[in-house]
Amino acid sequence: MLSVITAASRVAWADMRALYSPVTWTFGWLGRILAQVIFFALIGLLLEDPDAVVFLFIGQAVMVTVVEVFFTVASTTWEKKAGTLPLILASPAALWAVLFGRSLQWVPSGVATASAALFVLGPALGIGWSIGAAVLAVPVLILVSLSMYAVALTLAAAALRTPGWRNVLGNVGHLGIMLGCGVVVPVTAWPAGVQLLVQAVPLTHGLEVIRALHTSGPSAELLAPVALLLTTGLGWAAVAAAAFSLFASVGRRDGSIAFSE
Amino acid sequence: MQLLTAAAAGFRTQLRHMRGNADWMLSLITTPLLTMVFVSMFLYADRGELISYAVLAPGLMAMWSTALLTAGELISFERENGSLEGLLAAPAPFAAVLYGRIAAVTALSLVGFAEAWLVGSLMAGFPVPVAHPWALAAAVMVTVGAMTCWAAVMSSVFVLARSARIFQNSLSYPFFVLGGVLVPVSLLPVWVEVPARMVFLSWSSDLLRDAITPAPVEQLWLRLLVITALGAAGLALSLLLLDRALQRVKRTGRLTHA
Repeated sequence: MLSVITAASRVAWADMRALYSPVTWTFGWLGRILAQVIFFALIGLLLEDPDAVVFLFIGQAVMVTVVEVFFTVASTTWEKKAGTLPLILASPAALWAVLFGRSLQWVPSGVATASAALFVLGPALGIGWSIGAAVLAVPVLILVSLSMYAVALTLAAAALRTPGWRNVLGNVGHLGIMLGCGVVVPVTAWPAGVQLLVQAVPLTHGLEVIRALHTSGPSAELLAPVALLLTTGLGWAAVAAAAFSLFASVGRRDGSIAFSE
Repeated sequence: MQLLTAAAAGFRTQLRHMRGNADWMLSLITTPLLTMVFVSMFLYADRGELISYAVLAPGLMAMWSTALLTAGELISFERENGSLEGLLAAPAPFAAVLYGRIAAVTALSLVGFAEAWLVGSLMAGFPVPVAHPWALAAAVMVTVGAMTCWAAVMSSVFVLARSARIFQNSLSYPFFVLGGVLVPVSLLPVWVEVPARMVFLSWSSDLLRDAITPAPVEQLWLRLLVITALGAAGLALSLLLLDRALQRVKRTGRLTHA
């Protein structure tokens, strides 16, 4: 399976190279992402609350990696648009393995933009990091990106059935996550039902770890949310694989793979 | 007359294109969620007096995003469809068709203001008051005009771009900051505020906020005039850029594959 994912990831890099040059990624995409983080941090300024500036800054800086990996919802459907989905299904490789690799370009890009926001823009705005906290925050950020990639893949499986709604699904998905998972207000601000629901989203736990690393540095207490981050991420990966397999089997049966919408 | 006919045809064509296409409605679909994001922040901070800011910002963001989407998608779609050359070769002026199409989307994006007001009012538990409705209506009208003109500037640039979508993705939040859509540019450092004042959106945002809050709106006519003037500058620039861009791609033969 790993060789299939690796092979599919070559398409991901090819897409990335076609979409961005190093210059347009740096000055176009990264600039836009940093502007998003600044936009939300400025709201703390409007609230005249320095703690809110830090809370919103870190929340958005981590959130941008989610925004980016949620492009997976759209890029997965590009195979359908290109007419290559039936060929993938006809090949001996499992569909889910191909699609797990096919949009991997967003993961490193998302980690890079979030890292630039946290560790370059942050200190420039007076939101500094200790070396130890920053060194540990990077792998957590990678885990957040990978586990949220699994969430995005699950949504992508739904988008394959309704490709016309791919952008709506991706955007509504990431905005809902921004709202509920402790990015703009603490999770405790929401009713108990919502608090329970967002425990299933890896970002909730990843963000808790990164905020704690920034405030108090590394501690053994962070192992529990890291474990939850990993578990929920793996859970979503399993759900995504099952959803792609279901899409493949239903599509083979009713002939809807190439011709629906 | 020919210009108006072409613009009206563009307007109608765009409405037909948008029917049943979720992407064109994306901003309107996400506006309620974005409003919830902003309002929840202000309610959590116990700053209910800022809810009017939270209600206006998503409306402005929806308008800018749809204008950007139209400007980019319009060129990309026609290019991918192979119809861009036909549109340019037709006797109807391309700029007029372009303006008509952008105006259709920008006008429709006004629904975003109503959505944001409704969601904000529901979350706040009371109707968000609009202190100066006529000033608000006038500010919205000139903003729609200016938005259409500047979206056309972007379209002109997109004609030359390999992928308009890079610009589409990149020009949102930088302009939300410079346009002061949620946080007034007067709160930004002077070196940001000065260039921000060159962006019509910053004047529109300030005026819309003043129109919704109880204090009297100062220098209403002057501010409306500034937004109109910045919109007119966009109109002139877009016509110039579009002419130059089209001449260039016709000369180099790179219209279809810029």
